[in-house]
Amino acid sequence: MLKPTADRERIIELLEHEGGVTEASVRKVAAQTGVPEADIWGTGKFYTLINTPGTRVRVCDGLTCQMFGADELARQITESGKEVERVSCLGQCDLAVATLSEDMELVTYTKKETNISPASDDLAINLAGEVDLGYSALAKARLMGADAVIEQLKISGLQGRGGAGFPAHFKWTSLINQAETERYVVCNADEAEPGTFKDRETMLRQPHKMLEGLAIAAALIGTREIYIYIRGEYVNEVAALEVAIDEAKGQLEDFNVTIVRGHGAYICGEETALLESLEGKRGMPRLKPPFPTESGFRSKPTLIHNVETIACVPSIVHHGGQWFHDLGRTEAGSKLYCISGHVNQPGVYELPLGVTLDELVEQAGGYVGTPLAFSPGGASSGFLPISQRTLPLDYKSLAAAGSMMGSAGIVVLNDTVDMARAADWQLKFFERESCGQCAPCRIGTQFIRRQNEKYIQLGDPATFEHTEDVAWEMEEGSICGLGMIAAKPLTSAREHFPEHFKTR
Amino acid sequence: MSDSFSIKLNGQTVDAFTGETVFQVAARTEVEIPSLCHDDRLAPAGACRVCLVEVAGQRRLQPGCAWVVTPDMEIITESDRIAKHRKVLYNLYMADHELDDAGLPIETGNGNQLRELCKTVPAMNLEPVIAPRSGRPRDDNPYIQFDPELCILCARCTRYCDEVEAVNAITLSNRGGETTIETAGQRSLIDTTCELCGGCIDTCPTGALIEKKAPVNLVQLGGTEAVRSTCNFCGVGCQLDLHVQNDKLVKVTSPEPGETLNDGNLCVKGRFAYDFVHHPDRITQPLIRGEDGLLHRATWEEAIKATADGLMKVRDKHGPDSLGFVSSSRCTGEENYLMQKLSRAAFGTNNVHQCAAT
Amino acid sequence: MFGAGAMTNAIDEIRDSEMMFVIGSNTTEAHPIIAMEMKRARQRGAKLVVADPRKIWLADMADVHMQLKPGTDVWLLSAMANVIISEGLYDQAFIDEHTRGFDSIRQKVKSYTPEEAEQVTGVPAEDIRTVARMYATTKHAGIYYTLGITEHTHGTDNVYSLANLVLMTGHLGVRAAGMNPLRGQNNVQGANDAGATPIYYPGYQKVTDANVRRKFEDAWGVSLSPDDGLNLNVMMKEMSKGNVKALYVMGEDIVISEPNVSRVEAGLNRCEFVVCQEIFHNETTRFADVVLPGACFAEKDGVFTNSDRRVQRVRSAVSPPGQARPDWQILCDVARACGYPMPNYAHAGEVFAEYASLSPNIAGISYQRLDQNVAGLQWPCPDKNHPGTPTLHLNGPMIGRAEFQAVDYRPSAELPDNEYPLILSTGRTLYHYNSATQTRRDPGPVAKQRGNFIEISKRDAKIYGLEHGERVRVSSRRGTVEAEAWISPRVRFGCIWMPMHFAESRANLLTNDEGDAVTGTGEYKVCAVAIEKIKSNVAQPVELANS
Repeated sequence: MLKPTADRERIIELLEHEGGVTEASVRKVAAQTGVPEADIWGTGKFYTLINTPGTRVRVCDGLTCQMFGADELARQITESGKEVERVSCLGQCDLAVATLSEDMELVTYTKKETNISPASDDLAINLAGEVDLGYSALAKARLMGADAVIEQLKISGLQGRGGAGFPAHFKWTSLINQAETERYVVCNADEAEPGTFKDRETMLRQPHKMLEGLAIAAALIGTREIYIYIRGEYVNEVAALEVAIDEAKGQLEDFNVTIVRGHGAYICGEETALLESLEGKRGMPRLKPPFPTESGFRSKPTLIHNVETIACVPSIVHHGGQWFHDLGRTEAGSKLYCISGHVNQPGVYELPLGVTLDELVEQAGGYVGTPLAFSPGGASSGFLPISQRTLPLDYKSLAAAGSMMGSAGIVVLNDTVDMARAADWQLKFFERESCGQCAPCRIGTQFIRRQNEKYIQLGDPATFEHTEDVAWEMEEGSICGLGMIAAKPLTSAREHFPEHFKTR
Repeated sequence: MSDSFSIKLNGQTVDAFTGETVFQVAARTEVEIPSLCHDDRLAPAGACRVCLVEVAGQRRLQPGCAWVVTPDMEIITESDRIAKHRKVLYNLYMADHELDDAGLPIETGNGNQLRELCKTVPAMNLEPVIAPRSGRPRDDNPYIQFDPELCILCARCTRYCDEVEAVNAITLSNRGGETTIETAGQRSLIDTTCELCGGCIDTCPTGALIEKKAPVNLVQLGGTEAVRSTCNFCGVGCQLDLHVQNDKLVKVTSPEPGETLNDGNLCVKGRFAYDFVHHPDRITQPLIRGEDGLLHRATWEEAIKATADGLMKVRDKHGPDSLGFVSSSRCTGEENYLMQKLSRAAFGTNNVHQCAAT
Repeated sequence: MFGAGAMTNAIDEIRDSEMMFVIGSNTTEAHPIIAMEMKRARQRGAKLVVADPRKIWLADMADVHMQLKPGTDVWLLSAMANVIISEGLYDQAFIDEHTRGFDSIRQKVKSYTPEEAEQVTGVPAEDIRTVARMYATTKHAGIYYTLGITEHTHGTDNVYSLANLVLMTGHLGVRAAGMNPLRGQNNVQGANDAGATPIYYPGYQKVTDANVRRKFEDAWGVSLSPDDGLNLNVMMKEMSKGNVKALYVMGEDIVISEPNVSRVEAGLNRCEFVVCQEIFHNETTRFADVVLPGACFAEKDGVFTNSDRRVQRVRSAVSPPGQARPDWQILCDVARACGYPMPNYAHAGEVFAEYASLSPNIAGISYQRLDQNVAGLQWPCPDKNHPGTPTLHLNGPMIGRAEFQAVDYRPSAELPDNEYPLILSTGRTLYHYNSATQTRRDPGPVAKQRGNFIEISKRDAKIYGLEHGERVRVSSRRGTVEAEAWISPRVRFGCIWMPMHFAESRANLLTNDEGDAVTGTGEYKVCAVAIEKIKSNVAQPVELANS
């Protein structure tokens, strides 16, 4: 039980300041905050950036980096005498292979520059466009009032860009209908889905779209409090945001914008795990209901949006909902698609929602080699065969194909890739990133990954005897989305590429 | 908890109150919903997933421990879907648990509810995962032992330590398959805020926590029934179950939560400090001080006579009010009654008291 | 006052509290399971206020901790009454219907302003106001106290002051409220109920009341003394003066637990005859002419009555060791040997039946009913169909009216001076129990606390040049003991604290046996002491858990 005076929200940051979790650092942070030592210890041990003191080179273990030789690179760095830690996707798939130096500086080994779509007025985010410091949409939104803005959001058809695809206006409506007046706006910038790096580019190139979107949300739901939760590995992005907040001081004077850095836990991209982390706890997802709009940060009504979702809002306010809606093809709006893997110019391309893989790859300079498979929306979406190259890349079509749009982190794999190996890389990710709270996910991710690994070693498909049942239970029984889809890389690969899982 | 309404539980109409969970409603019916991570003394966690039920209109299965019912809600606790869920879930638990020769989670000195659940489903014989959970091998506390191999991470112990005992000595630590229960710095419980209440052992469903002093399950061994009694330390009056083997007190537990005023809880003294009962230092014989100034063994007859003679001699010489009787707030009501009766009726003095202030 | 010295409310009501005012009770250590109920209430949103000179564990989770100077309780409580009256927060209807003498309080507390209280008690005036308002305006607000209230020369005044607050705010006859002394020992309530007290027969029937006396004379077949006897404190003093010449001590280590034990020892030495009935040799058996081996709780049958008046069974589980026997049987044998025809009780239940038949409060309780009621029966339980009484005065409170008792602050009997500059308070810890003959025979308590210590503030430690864990000599006008010094954030500057448990280093060599005028309870909580560092023999520091 916490003392009334305890200051739990600071403990993760303080632990980092002390160089990570040690008995001494935990004791010191306990004295500083009044939080019990065990709670600090257990919280710190959850987060990979602080759970082991000391410095080391972090080599990305993500799908794209693996395809481009992360194992070999890690071996070389180790041989050079440095300590190496293999870490989950660093969100630099277009620049694969990616590492973080001992000083947490990004070092990439194939490419240095990110490709983006050219500037255009018919893009909601418009990464290459001019930065607008006017915050005119905020002023306009204030004049319009909450109901009118929400109406435009509704017309726009904007869906949550973090992966769920839930119509954004529902959350706003729910928020303003709460009796409780202490409310929060939280921006989910914990971009960590393998294959995904669009929020990274948004924060680097158009941070004011995001900040203005947050300001509009805060102004309309009636709060000063804005929190931005950004993954700890995004060091440059944090710096860019800090500069942007400083640049917009005048426009943001009605708001307290707080940047909170994550410390190495993919699950904190799940909105309730994010809230736990904001509160200085282990990032374990909460049971829903209650939903954050009702009981979120500090148990108060909270509006949480992904970076891209909130960054669309100023354009919608500015041009109207219909304009945004019409930017899409099969579904509403323009969409940031991340593409990496076996394509010539990996990058972030903003295209009408519903383009096909072929159209996207055309933007990205064409395929490298003979394409075999693609992962349409991050690790959570599993794999689809290249025969689906003409499927509209939208929420509905991909769901119908048994996959998902997710974060639109598309990875193309050509026929040099063994799909069992590709599945292994993705399964490892989920095993490592499972929070461990519920058994279907904690044990299921271990079981599934081990059975696939055993197949790779022995070539005997009998190892898959129970994987379908276990995958079923993971989907049925897990608390949150991670466990629900964590077997997807294997089940989808086996479904679409049976020849890769025969006796061998 | 004022408004009453009805819901359908497995097709039967049952009464429910505003704010109640499926568990609370089901507790008043014949419907049994299995669970591992639930303890009425703790806020629902929904973590073990054993209690998932079908709620009409909900795509996903929902935890009965935490799901709050609303009027006319329809709840199903038994179906093919739930049966399959339980089968695979229990088998997953077994893949991550120490098993006996029969392939079931092992029995422990503190029982194992997982074992009982696993008996209810067909075995899938999943290949074991080797979860690298750390324990506290160097924890030299004298009472509480943690075996990570038997832990299912239901977090009842850590939640009890936080929500009930409020000392926060233990915590969930690490994550994923490495998730385990730790103290800060993996220190011995003695060197933490732990007050050695042993409530963690009491709430543990699988025997991952057991008593170092009493590692064996007497009920399993056909031991005698426990004797219900009242704790002899402070004035709270906790009820105890005294476990006896060969006329020796070998373990003390609390009655089930909800039964008695201690609600399943005990403190370090009530649960563990019973070594004194059979301690070799106990006085086992009457003693009379001899001419040499030392205490010497005597028979009961001699000792009772010496007592009576000594008291009567003083009374006869100095009158009854020259006697003082110090009774004991440690002894029973009957004994206090008899002590004051001895003082008043046998000797005619009201000089009888005990450590009343404390 | 309003009734006997027992909790007005039941322990399991605490979880439904909206506010708890805990004063002079280190509940977590002395009553751990009641503290769990308080924590549960706190978890459910109840406010918690702790008034204690020490920053006890419970204070860590309190909304307000009033860290008053030892012995200034009357000032603090009178100032709270002052706020409640001056702000009109009292319950006029309750006062009109159920009490007498409110005007005397109104006059008395006028001068006890929060600002002046701050000067005397050290508690900020604003905290006093906050707590007074919170208490007066919260329906389910209970007061919980223990020996921090009673173990003073003005202990009775402290209790009156609390009762005045309860009465003026109408917190009586309400669930999860009331006035709740938490009794320190397993059966201290039951011992008093059973008449082991110099002024009452069983069931709080006065020995000076002729009708009552006749009833007991008829029941026991002898004539009885019409005079009040000596309370324990006075008995000890009379013994040292040579007026009490024989002592029969059952199950109590008086030379550890009584204040100023040097005087008790001197008295025992003067006694012509001493009997001890015990389970272990202790400091008192050193003085015994006869030692009778008794049985511990696990070896005999009977009842204990706990703090919330709950009568519960004690059941024999194992045999006593060697020739040791249940104490009730020994007492019967002694009585018979003295020529009194004690009946041949076949079982403890027959003793209970006789006792209950003479005590209207528990007349409805029997072993049979206790077997059926696993949660015990709470008195009053006047007949065999009565369900017992969890909450006193619940439906239509008291018979007659409760009297407000206006009291004035009196300083503690012995205050610090140049020679003895520190205030010593004594008490219990979680890990040991009283003279620790039981708990020091178990590894856990010993691992946590192996010997005596004092808690001393950082500032005082600096003055005396003490490091954590160094040994000190602690002296009062009555004696000297050695202990380890534990530097602790829990005690006030100028105050030290010492547990009472350790036979080789008895806190009660130091304490003042000046007693409360009404109860005779010694002033365990305040006496003046001096400390000095012991130069050699530096012990290993011992970590204080929870510090």
